[in-house]
Amino acid sequence: MSFIKIRNLKYSYKDDEGSPLGIIRDISLDIEKGEYIAIVGHNGSGKSTLAKLLTLVVDDYDYLEGSIEVDGVEITSDDMTEDGIYDLRKKIGMVFQNPDNQLVATIVEEDVAFGPENLGLERAEIRRRVDDALATVGMTEFIRHEPHRLSGGQKQRIAIAGIIAMKPECIIFDESTAMLDPIGRRDVVATMERLNKEDGKTVINITHYMDEAVRADRVIVIDDGKILLDGTPAEIFAEVDKLRGAGLDLPQCTDLTIRLKAKGIDINGEINTPEQCAKAIAAALGK
Amino acid sequence: MKSVAFGQYYPSNSVMHRLDPRVKIVIGIFYIVASFLCKNVLSFALLTVSALVLILVSKIPVKIVLKSIKAIIFIMIFTAILNIFWTKGPEENLILHWNFINIYVDGIYNAVFIAVRIISMIIGTSIFLTYTTTPIELTDGLERLLYPLTFIKVPVHEFAMMMTIALRFIPTIIEETEKIMSAQKARGADFTNGSLSKRAKALIPVLIPLFVSAFRRAGELATAMTCRCYRGGNGRTRLKVLKTTYRDYLALFFIAVFGAAIVLLNIYAPGYTM
Amino acid sequence: MSKITVENVSYVYSGGTPFEMAALNDVSFEIKENCITGIIGHTGSGKSTLVQMFNGLLRPSSGRILLDGRDIWENPKEISSIRYRVGLVMQYPEYQLFEETVEADIAFGPKNMGLSEDEIAERVRESASFVGLSESDLKKSPFDLSGGQKRRAAIAGIMAMRPEVLVLDEPSAGLDPAGKNTIFDGIKKYAESTGSAVVIVSHSMDDMAKYCEDIIVMSHSRVAMKGKRNEIFCRGDELEEIGLGVPQITLLMRLLCEQGVNISQDIYTVDDAEKALSELFGGAR
Repeated sequence: MSFIKIRNLKYSYKDDEGSPLGIIRDISLDIEKGEYIAIVGHNGSGKSTLAKLLTLVVDDYDYLEGSIEVDGVEITSDDMTEDGIYDLRKKIGMVFQNPDNQLVATIVEEDVAFGPENLGLERAEIRRRVDDALATVGMTEFIRHEPHRLSGGQKQRIAIAGIIAMKPECIIFDESTAMLDPIGRRDVVATMERLNKEDGKTVINITHYMDEAVRADRVIVIDDGKILLDGTPAEIFAEVDKLRGAGLDLPQCTDLTIRLKAKGIDINGEINTPEQCAKAIAAALGK
Repeated sequence: MKSVAFGQYYPSNSVMHRLDPRVKIVIGIFYIVASFLCKNVLSFALLTVSALVLILVSKIPVKIVLKSIKAIIFIMIFTAILNIFWTKGPEENLILHWNFINIYVDGIYNAVFIAVRIISMIIGTSIFLTYTTTPIELTDGLERLLYPLTFIKVPVHEFAMMMTIALRFIPTIIEETEKIMSAQKARGADFTNGSLSKRAKALIPVLIPLFVSAFRRAGELATAMTCRCYRGGNGRTRLKVLKTTYRDYLALFFIAVFGAAIVLLNIYAPGYTM
Repeated sequence: MSKITVENVSYVYSGGTPFEMAALNDVSFEIKENCITGIIGHTGSGKSTLVQMFNGLLRPSSGRILLDGRDIWENPKEISSIRYRVGLVMQYPEYQLFEETVEADIAFGPKNMGLSEDEIAERVRESASFVGLSESDLKKSPFDLSGGQKRRAAIAGIMAMRPEVLVLDEPSAGLDPAGKNTIFDGIKKYAESTGSAVVIVSHSMDDMAKYCEDIIVMSHSRVAMKGKRNEIFCRGDELEEIGLGVPQITLLMRLLCEQGVNISQDIYTVDDAEKALSELFGGAR
């Protein structure tokens, strides 16, 4: 049984003035435990709305049809209780875009402890989880620091630690790298991958950076509230026209290879990184 | 600007810094009460000595303490002058008489006593509550001291959470204000010249974006907190539990002795009494 | 011709306190006329401090900033006129929007300059067209725009002052590819039609490769490298040492070279790479 099972989900919400915010037209999707998925799409494609629906933190809705099941529980059902929602949020953690607006406490360790405290854990257990979580994101030395003095990437890793400490099955990163500089981004992506590979967490990275999407095991492209493409990075990046149509860029090396292939030059193999690309071109040239 | 928000706490590792914030709040209040109990030369002398001892024990540089006193120096001089000229005593204590001005020894005593009282109070409360206690410890301490009030439905936890979040976001908002001001200056906004009403008007381009962003932050923070399973104070445990140690009991013992000494000195000691 | 000359500029934050910190350390370079110059560096390399020097938001602790050969701090009282000549778009400029309509917000700068109503209206139209905001967008409240549109409205607000130098700090941060392209196209249009110098601060090597002719690399409060784009990108090892890396295509060309492929190392964009490689393949056959 899939960990997350979405069936014919349709959703819409209008703000006070009637302009629509976040529309899902018809999405069906299965996500298994331990997957590393990137969800890409341009701004307003509905990718963030989908993530928010998974943890039921959407503002409100005018229309909701279809179903979402998480770990066998239908979270879109009307019988969903407060406690049910609470259990859901224990299973799926979310890291958001702006690192500043997720940190609650004035000291790093107290912020990381916020989630476990809400779960009502024993003090010794909170201590253990805080220390483990900070070690996982490599921020142990900052345990007594004030978050507002840290860099964006460091703050974001603290936010991740805050989620890890709650031990969710799945962590959704909702454009968590968009506001970071390259070093911050690299560190956060490395953290995601470590969580997936070493701790076996289900990781969903919602992003518009194609070089991040390339690294995932599975890429889902969302456009206009629908799933446009769903497959491995290689499969996705073969659909150049569809990606362009959805307002997305290709990784530059993939783009180059595709253009060369179009000119009848024979380049083989999966090409997403400069290394792969160089090897394939050199091979094609007979070097 | 950042020094305004956090300027009061002075990081160090003195005994005073390590006391339980609850104990410090209680002692701080006692200290204020004690300073009001003082009535004569000896009890005020004890109060002065106690203030000096506090400075020594807390390892706060005298320079910093003086700075906080400087802020109220005018109020002190003003009250001292009022006391000197307006206190009336018995005829035999009159030391200066000129036109309608009568100055009695009593007035001088009162002026000095009140100055000592204000200074000691400032030193005492700032050492107990601000120099050696971070705002967040203070909030924690208050939350737990006021915990019994939750039984009469006072939302103590919610207030403490609000305080914590405010403290967390003060530096962020200050930084943002500076940024928005720079951005508007780059578009020719002028915050320093012109009449008061013109300058107040010039702040609109700063205040509106600031409010918009504060509301956005609040919304995002609320979502993030919900996602982290926050449901108010019920069933919530804490990583940091305030623990009282022998130090705290010792501190409470000292303040009790101190209070008793002041009361005794008031009763038995000779000399001018306020 | 040099438009802005930065002469031995240093800047110290919180001078005289224990928190003293040098943000710029003896920095010198030139920004040329009719040229898009890129400044690249990490967070904390001093680049954001530097941009606030160009229009006099910050005053150098030592050294001089010359605009057309004259020290901008020659007459400190007239520093606001410098701000109209050197337009600065700060990071995440959408947070500076405050007026009721986009139109009024773009007009804020020109109004402060004391221009006539007609002139203001004309400039608002012009800068809106640079960044691709429609007539109906202008009538909307800035808070009803999408993220990318807000950013464009804020940039138009600076363009409307028609600065001789347009400085942008991370203009594309956080935008999706489509949003990013619109912004850079707008900047290019402004540069071409007004002949202004443009300075783009970024940490994206790929953006630099695509849009900037001159590049200045900042590291640890100092200028680490300066020169033409090709002069900078051929120093890949040094760039990597600073932790910046090179544009993907440049990296690819280097890797190809290492594999024994004889190809020009002066290539930074997909278009150029496509051209060079198809020639190479064509020649091989």
